[in-house]
Amino acid sequence: MGRSAGCILLAFAVVSLLPGGTLAQTAPAPKPSTPQRAPAPDARLYIIFPWDGAQIRGEFWVRFGLRNMGVTQAGSSAPNAGHHHLLVDVTDEIDPDEPIPTDNKHLHFGAGQTEARLELPPGKHTLQLVLGDPEHRPFKPMLISKKVTITVLPVAPARTSKKVSGKGS
Amino acid sequence: MREEFSTHPHAHRRLAAILAADIAGYSQMMGHDEEGTVRRLKHVRREIVDPTLEEHYGRLVKNTGDGFIAMFDSPLEAVRCAIVIQQSVAARNTGLPRDYWLQYRMGLNLGDVIVEPDDVFGDGVNIAARLEALAIPGGVYISGGIYEQIKNKLVCGYQSLGDEKLKNITDPVRIYRVLPDPVSFTGATKKRPSYLIPAGIAAAFALVAAGLYTTGYWPVGGQTNLVSIERFPQWVPVPLTSVTNQPAPSPRVEPTTGNTANAAKPLAPSPDPPPAAPASDPQVAILAPSLPAVRMIQTASGFRDCETCPEMIRIPGGSFRMGSDEDPSEQPIRTVTIAPFAIGLSPISVAEWNRCAAAKGCPFALEGSETAPARNLSWLDAKQYADWLAQVTGKPYRLPSEAEWEYAARAGTSTRFWWGRELEPGKANCRDCGASQDPKAPMPVGSFARNAFGGADFGGGVAQWVADCWVANYRDAPSDGLPRTAQNCRENVLRGGSWRSNAASVRPASRTHYDTGVRYPAHGFRIARSL
Repeated sequence: MGRSAGCILLAFAVVSLLPGGTLAQTAPAPKPSTPQRAPAPDARLYIIFPWDGAQIRGEFWVRFGLRNMGVTQAGSSAPNAGHHHLLVDVTDEIDPDEPIPTDNKHLHFGAGQTEARLELPPGKHTLQLVLGDPEHRPFKPMLISKKVTITVLPVAPARTSKKVSGKGS
Repeated sequence: MREEFSTHPHAHRRLAAILAADIAGYSQMMGHDEEGTVRRLKHVRREIVDPTLEEHYGRLVKNTGDGFIAMFDSPLEAVRCAIVIQQSVAARNTGLPRDYWLQYRMGLNLGDVIVEPDDVFGDGVNIAARLEALAIPGGVYISGGIYEQIKNKLVCGYQSLGDEKLKNITDPVRIYRVLPDPVSFTGATKKRPSYLIPAGIAAAFALVAAGLYTTGYWPVGGQTNLVSIERFPQWVPVPLTSVTNQPAPSPRVEPTTGNTANAAKPLAPSPDPPPAAPASDPQVAILAPSLPAVRMIQTASGFRDCETCPEMIRIPGGSFRMGSDEDPSEQPIRTVTIAPFAIGLSPISVAEWNRCAAAKGCPFALEGSETAPARNLSWLDAKQYADWLAQVTGKPYRLPSEAEWEYAARAGTSTRFWWGRELEPGKANCRDCGASQDPKAPMPVGSFARNAFGGADFGGGVAQWVADCWVANYRDAPSDGLPRTAQNCRENVLRGGSWRSNAASVRPASRTHYDTGVRYPAHGFRIARSL
């Protein structure tokens, strides 16, 4: 008769961690709304990668470029800075007076990120960057990058010996 | 199409984890009620087994009367799948009399097997089938081969049943029984060694002590955190996560009656990890001397825990199919079981938020109409409000999990929108939802029709933060209604869409995400409370 394989108790001692140690502090209180600002006159917003016309297979990193201005967190009123928004397959004009919408085509990078990993279905897609102010509104005049068109190629099916599906054959 | 001539001289072989499953006492049940049994088994197959197999990358190889044989590339996924199926079946059985319980016996083995399009052969399969025959109803028995692969990866209990000489298998096979949780030794097992009962009781005491300590229940003063816990007869929902420093939600454990001498009250599970400030214990602060009068006030739709607290509605426990076919982020669709809880009738309003600010529980006040939903809030802001409310009332307030939110929003429906298949004016506050709506701001809380649970504003208005960390789909998501959490979570989930969204975003299944610490004008939240 066997010995009892030591019962591995689940971690009942609740080791609690606030998500993201550095984010545990909330941002300072939102400041009252200020009018939209102008970007630096020589500022340039551009997509470093992928380039226009690129053909990409699978997931990829989009890298955001910004010249003569800085990237900061949303809500921060640091001068000469903003945060990135990436438009994926967006055909409508961005409303110049309203905060940029947020959904799966309008990606916000309010924590100051400068690149993003994307996975898009195969086909043609467009990418474009817009710089946002502390309240996610575009600058006036809008600081927006050139639109980049890429082609995503289908990922080759993985070579497994048996097709995996939940249904019986 | 079978090939007549294979290019390889040998039959097609591969290493696979085989799961053999069979219904316990099927013929007997068929004798009692043939149609009912067949119908229930069909439901279980369709609603629990098939989706779970798919989620864990398993393939159904063949049906064996009332049972089946499935094949997996990964032994870890195979065992997880087996546990999830057994837990889901047990959850489904709880509402039914014992005679109606459908219970699987399961055996798992890792072996080199011969594979054909609709069958699989070899000792590897036979061993799994023998283990299945040995297993107790509701049990999962694994071979030594599987155990070696998963023992450090899958955290649950394993009871060694020793080496068995199985019929027609040359060498004895080491068998392990997978334990739902070490406390519940109540299931009859013929081979249970006698020292496991005292060991189980000792473990239960340790668990109860640990649980009481961490949830801060001190039997002093009037404030207690009494909650009721649903009891699952044999399987207790157990988060299948490997042991890291992840915040582990306290599972709903009810010690067997003999152990409750010291612990008269059940544990108080809080699905959110308690705030981690190591320097102070927030739970102790609940018992601070000067508190506003806290007593439950019944309202027309639900209750409030104090006169100025948010109005809450009670949501009954149950199961539902979470997700949809419309977006990859809402898949795979799976059955989730929710314990009874309470949720805010509406999102938190500006007035309610400002009370928190006035009490210095929240860092700033909001401007604007008092009946507007509080917005321009980050997930951290929402959590701060929830923690403040929990502290002030002494009740387990928190953000809802996304499963709880979707369950409350659907209110028992499975249609595209909670009110039906098509858009109807007056039901939701979004850009293309019809009826006159202000494009610049959300409507006041509670402006729209309520769903079958009596909840308002489950479509549009402000997008509502929930507790869960954002993951792009539901693979490996919990099925017990608890939030999915992660260390270093940087993005959390939002539900419901906002007044600026399109119609697809106000479906109850729709989910989106945003940076945890960033505020956006269309984001708010509603509060939840464990019962």
